[in-house]
Amino acid sequence: MNDPLKHSLRFLAVLLIQGLILNQIEIGFGIQLMIYPLFILLLPVNTSILPLLFISFSLGLLVDAFSNTYGLHASSALIFAFLRPSVFKLFDSRDGYDPLVETNVFNMGFLWFAKTFGVLLFIHHLWFFLLEMFKFNDLGFILQKTVLSAPVSFAICILLQYLFVKKQTSK
Amino acid sequence: MRNFIAFIKHFQVILVFALLQGIALSLYVSFVQFPRSQYLTTASSVQGNILSVRNSMTKHFNLSKNNVQLQKKNIELMQKQPFSFIPQENGLVKINDTLQRLQYEYIPAIIINSTHDKRDNYFTINIGSSQGIERGMGVFSNNGVVGIIHNTSANFSVIKSCLTKKLNIAIMLQESNEFGFLEWDGRDARRGSMTGVSNDFDLKKWSRIVTKGGGGIFPRGIPVGKLEKYEVIEGESLWDITFLFSEDFRSLQNVYVIKNLLLEEQKELETEVNNNQQ
Repeated sequence: MNDPLKHSLRFLAVLLIQGLILNQIEIGFGIQLMIYPLFILLLPVNTSILPLLFISFSLGLLVDAFSNTYGLHASSALIFAFLRPSVFKLFDSRDGYDPLVETNVFNMGFLWFAKTFGVLLFIHHLWFFLLEMFKFNDLGFILQKTVLSAPVSFAICILLQYLFVKKQTSK
Repeated sequence: MRNFIAFIKHFQVILVFALLQGIALSLYVSFVQFPRSQYLTTASSVQGNILSVRNSMTKHFNLSKNNVQLQKKNIELMQKQPFSFIPQENGLVKINDTLQRLQYEYIPAIIINSTHDKRDNYFTINIGSSQGIERGMGVFSNNGVVGIIHNTSANFSVIKSCLTKKLNIAIMLQESNEFGFLEWDGRDARRGSMTGVSNDFDLKKWSRIVTKGGGGIFPRGIPVGKLEKYEVIEGESLWDITFLFSEDFRSLQNVYVIKNLLLEEQKELETEVNNNQQ
């Protein structure tokens, strides 16, 4: 399967999983599951930042359309996309990234994935809940939501990759 | 000029980021205040149709509970039917009631999408403007108040539920008629709070809270909840009241939209008064 088609299908799949299934799962304690950042992370490494921003913005807006948040997810997805190149650079291995290799958990190793995606996902969740509550009195509750939601979202993203991403045999 | 273009090129990414971020945030703020379009909400026909397909698969999950509730309501209504009464006296003449006039009509609807643990929770229902639904109509269920219509399209509507930041329904304690406003702090889908009640009044635990009416949205006396806890707000002469919602929104499916037949008359009169004052 060629790349643009693969990513468009992923776009749709992530949107529908998020909109129809994950928005309905209510664990309690303010936990909210968000997996669409995974799509942004798995876009090719050499995607330049402007297309990245526009793709993330549209994905966020469509997720918003399913959850009646109207801009919240778009704003958080933008933060994620905006920080992605800098965080990639921060956790760069010595010889840089191979633009042909997808940045999933198998190719990059669990440690790299946990660091990069973990940081980005945490910032994404924190931004989302900050905007959603928008009250510094509730700072404790915002942190509780972030700290509890981010690991669960992270775990689901790992699980999804084990289920749907093909393992490439190492060269 | 060249410097300006160089500047733009240099900060291109930041500028685009800021622009998109600005669009997203202004969309969010304006939607919470006043929704201008229905296209990017679950009231729009694409999302609405997808969600109603999903609802046709998942609607049976709470079926037994909902059936029990409907049965209870049916029994209640049956008992009000003429055949449930034994005439006390024979020979009474039945006359048409001209003392009372119908003010509220109820339109049944089914919730096809809802969330309960977000900060602002909206419910989507399967009827819209072509069934006569308009923005600002009240919605209630068998057990109590649900919310207010926020946004409509031809065949779907979005309800701003009791589980949102600012719904501002006027509610009151049934016994003492003290009134305040409904608020929700975003933590527990079973509990809401009531603000604006002066702490001069004594409160009783488990006293019933109902809608105040008067705004033309809800009739007076639709149940809202039962008072669970009250504390003094420090530095203010108000009670901080927590109550238990009488409806469990998490398994809610059947609701009724309230159509106030006299609302226009009331609004006209009120704007007239306002205009005269100015």
